[in-house]
Amino acid sequence: MKVTIKKWTGVATWKWVANDDNCGICRMAFDGCCPDCKLPGDDCPLVWGQCSHCFHMHCIVKWLQSQPVNQQCPMCRQEWKFNNK
Amino acid sequence: MCVVCHLFTNLKWFSQNLDIVDMTSSNHLDIKYQWDPSRDGDSAILTPTASVRIKRDLLEIFKDPPPGIYVVGDESDIRYVHAIIVGVMDTPYEGGFFYFLLKCPADYPILPPKVKFMTTDAGRVRFNPNLYKNGKVCLSILGTWTGPAWSPAQQISTVLLSIQSLMNEKPYYNEPGYDRERTPGDAKRYNEYLRHETLRVAVCGMLENECHLSIPPQLVEMMESTFLQFFDLYTETCRDNLRSDGEFYIDPFGGNTGCNFEYTKILERLETIRSNLQKKQNIPVSLPFTDGEGSDEKDV
Ligand SMILES: [Zn+2]
Ligand SMILES: [Zn+2]
Ligand SMILES: [Zn+2]
Repeated sequence: MKVTIKKWTGVATWKWVANDDNCGICRMAFDGCCPDCKLPGDDCPLVWGQCSHCFHMHCIVKWLQSQPVNQQCPMCRQEWKFNNK
Repeated sequence: MCVVCHLFTNLKWFSQNLDIVDMTSSNHLDIKYQWDPSRDGDSAILTPTASVRIKRDLLEIFKDPPPGIYVVGDESDIRYVHAIIVGVMDTPYEGGFFYFLLKCPADYPILPPKVKFMTTDAGRVRFNPNLYKNGKVCLSILGTWTGPAWSPAQQISTVLLSIQSLMNEKPYYNEPGYDRERTPGDAKRYNEYLRHETLRVAVCGMLENECHLSIPPQLVEMMESTFLQFFDLYTETCRDNLRSDGEFYIDPFGGNTGCNFEYTKILERLETIRSNLQKKQNIPVSLPFTDGEGSDEKDV
């Protein structure tokens, strides 16, 4: 028997993205800056990890600096790697 | 945050807690992380992120309070948070008031809060293998236990929920190396001891505030109304256990070196506390000069 796939419907798998519009570290909305900055804008950029979690750069850098070894994403605990794409 | 997502974070906490419970290493007796609030000279100023996060953490608990967990921010110092966990039903802790003092570090949430357990009968009762009589709280996310460490995605509510999950139906098995009873019946006997100490220390002792803790008035009010609600449950437990009065008990984990069950005495204390609370509630509120701005300080 031969099966030909005529139509294929992908079922989206649900992924845990804790908060789409808040930084998981300071919990401020992404349309503003982190609490350590005064004004929103380019000074407080957002960065993504390869795990797809996003943070204020200031927030994630502070966290990574506090972790000399074993740098993990605060949300999913995967090894943290900047997504430079 | 969507519902599924919320559930998922909960699951994550629970799996972390399971890790804690499953741990078999026994090298957790170091006291180097033990924090003593009365000797805390740290006055570092909070980063803006830290003070915003502390407020957010509290707000989230107020908006969506986890059952049995009550928190109040300190009036004079935002770094401190007072929390009471009410013992969950069907555990030896049921209806007890367990008071914790938390302090957030200057760079919170990069570092976890410090936590001290205050309901210890002045350092005499170890209420759980992970809650020492000196107030130390052993929890991997606080850095005082092996297992998953702190992450800034965690918050004050996750710390308290993790502690609540340690206070479960069979806390005996929390202790590493005690995944099987040393002597048959140990886990049950440990529960009987905890049930007695919960009523003696975490109910009567907390309501009478015999250890002179500075518990914020909002939490005292909560305890008083919860006490009246649970009063019948407390007295029923006492009556069910009256026959063990006079028996001697030794905490297998080095709490009280020996205690006698004294349910008769606890019953008397419960009755006194209730009648005092009722008296307090029945006193008609005096309204000296209700007209005007209503200040009763005016007529000196
Ligand atoms: Zn942030
Ligand atoms: Zn910033
Ligand atoms: Zn991640």
